[in-house]
Amino acid sequence: MDNLKCPEVLLNSLENGHFVIDENFTVTYWNRWLSVNTQIASKEIIGRSLKEFYPDLNYRILLRKIKTALKLNTPTFYDSNSNTVFIPITRNKVTKTALKLMQQQVTISPYLINENKVMISIYNISELYETKLSLVKEINKVNQLNKILKSDKNIIDKNIMMMKTSTNGKIIDVSTLFCDFFEYERDDIIGKKASILKSGKLPDLVYKELWNTITNNKSWTGEVENITSAGESRWVQSRITPILNDDGVLVEFNAVYQDITNKKLLEVLYVTDHLTQIYNRTYFDGLMTSIALHQRKADTDFIILIADIDYFKSINDTYGHQVGDEALKDVAKVLKNSLRENDVVARWGGEEFVIMLKNTDLDEAQMIAEKLRANIEQTKIQDTINITISIGLTKYNLGEDTNLTFKRADNALYKAKESGRNMVVVEL
Amino acid sequence: MNSINFNEDQTDALKEFMNISVGQATSHVAELLDAFGTMHIPKISIKDMSELNQVVVENIDKNLNYYVMKQLFAGKFGGECVFIISEDSANNLGAHLYDIENPLEDDITDAVMELTNIVTSSIVSRLTEELDVQVQFFAPTSKLLNASNIIDDDEVTSYSKIIVVSTELEFKDQNISANIFILTKDEAIISLRDLIDKKLEELYS
Repeated sequence: MDNLKCPEVLLNSLENGHFVIDENFTVTYWNRWLSVNTQIASKEIIGRSLKEFYPDLNYRILLRKIKTALKLNTPTFYDSNSNTVFIPITRNKVTKTALKLMQQQVTISPYLINENKVMISIYNISELYETKLSLVKEINKVNQLNKILKSDKNIIDKNIMMMKTSTNGKIIDVSTLFCDFFEYERDDIIGKKASILKSGKLPDLVYKELWNTITNNKSWTGEVENITSAGESRWVQSRITPILNDDGVLVEFNAVYQDITNKKLLEVLYVTDHLTQIYNRTYFDGLMTSIALHQRKADTDFIILIADIDYFKSINDTYGHQVGDEALKDVAKVLKNSLRENDVVARWGGEEFVIMLKNTDLDEAQMIAEKLRANIEQTKIQDTINITISIGLTKYNLGEDTNLTFKRADNALYKAKESGRNMVVVEL
Repeated sequence: MNSINFNEDQTDALKEFMNISVGQATSHVAELLDAFGTMHIPKISIKDMSELNQVVVENIDKNLNYYVMKQLFAGKFGGECVFIISEDSANNLGAHLYDIENPLEDDITDAVMELTNIVTSSIVSRLTEELDVQVQFFAPTSKLLNASNIIDDDEVTSYSKIIVVSTELEFKDQNISANIFILTKDEAIISLRDLIDKKLEELYS
């Protein structure tokens, strides 16, 4: 202690280890903290080489650090994160610990340069290091979870059709499956309006209802016909969910789609007459059942027409079934083209067709029926064969059994046939 | 921060001090680490903090991992030294200093730390000696990072103007090269400029 410039009591009171050493590793000072923690008394080590007590230390490295400190007159350091501790000191921690040995921060400071002496200071950073280790452990866990999340996100991206939009309907993000399905490059569609997908074939009412629902912070589910970038039809089951922030403010919409194009095609096939490509009886029956069941005012004001091709059997017998089929197709086509958009025409069976004229009074209905009859009369099958139809017409009475309606229409048709065919007969 | 500018005389003086400092650092490294290297003439620029990442990235290979040592120094002229060395160079440095073919991770970090400490202390000590101010060094910290993560966004927002002194250290024999950035900010830049003015006055009075 002869060379120490500050009182020994000061160094002994510090909560760190301090010792003085020269380039031969001879210890000339060893403070109280070191005596307590290493169980090596100062009187035992002073004047002797550190090598005698700690032979495993890398003395080549230590010497270089001592020389650096002395040469540059600046402290040198050991890496405080190193797994190799400078002087092994067993920790007395009884409760759970990740560290058996004290983690140290070691600074080698120039002390008496002309005597080639440095002061080595050892700081106990075990608690800090333990916290760091547990933090690293937690970060690893988070990274692991993120990895799983990323992999899940990847699965979702490739297998679920998703689209995120801003509150004004601009596309923010889309999944890979979405891009594949609608044939878009991700970068091309992001920033565009979601309405780019609209087929234009659905009534505006559907979109109005959708928009009202989601802007009132409720989810909307429904079937929508969209189009690809090439304009091809794609039916999707769509669920659009509003996303709210922590304050309950709407921030974006999330849409998940499922391809139902094939289901829709099957549905169309199910209600379409294969030969004439107009609705079949199944569709018409369903429509009538629904009207009778719900009795909604807007749906119950309609006229029923049953049209039957006159002398159809003789067309079949004279020209063959192929011409008969052509006659059925031509009649279906003329009927459909002669009706308004809201009217419904279906093949009722054999050579019979059924027509529903919506929101039409009797006079108007008679005029339409007459127009249908006249248009058919002017039609020539294979440009040569004349053809006519007879029509029975009646009005649906509110609340009545639809069988009765059909019965009246059938009676009227019968009368038209009996009265010479190619005419319209009304029965109320 | 409009006042943070160096005139031509001040810039020339700083360049001169830095050249001397870098020369000393090279000689110390040769003596203490037995590695004979060269250090490029330092480039000095005043940048917005947001430009730091660009400055760093310009000097390194974006596809590599780097050991990044940061050492703070305090005093009238305080700041931070960032020492960036590629994984391969660090490995070669570890092998050289520990005199083993395959140094352990701890050996590599320790070797990089030693080199950082010598280079930083030499440059900054010499500079502060020229400017006649005291300096205190803190223990360096190390991280192995991908090139894109060397300067993270949080660091960018902490202060506005910085002086970037950048140089490259090369040991051809050992196949080691590293980039060194000495960064100092806001008030410390003004303080540095005042110190340079004082020194210039002394020199020319």
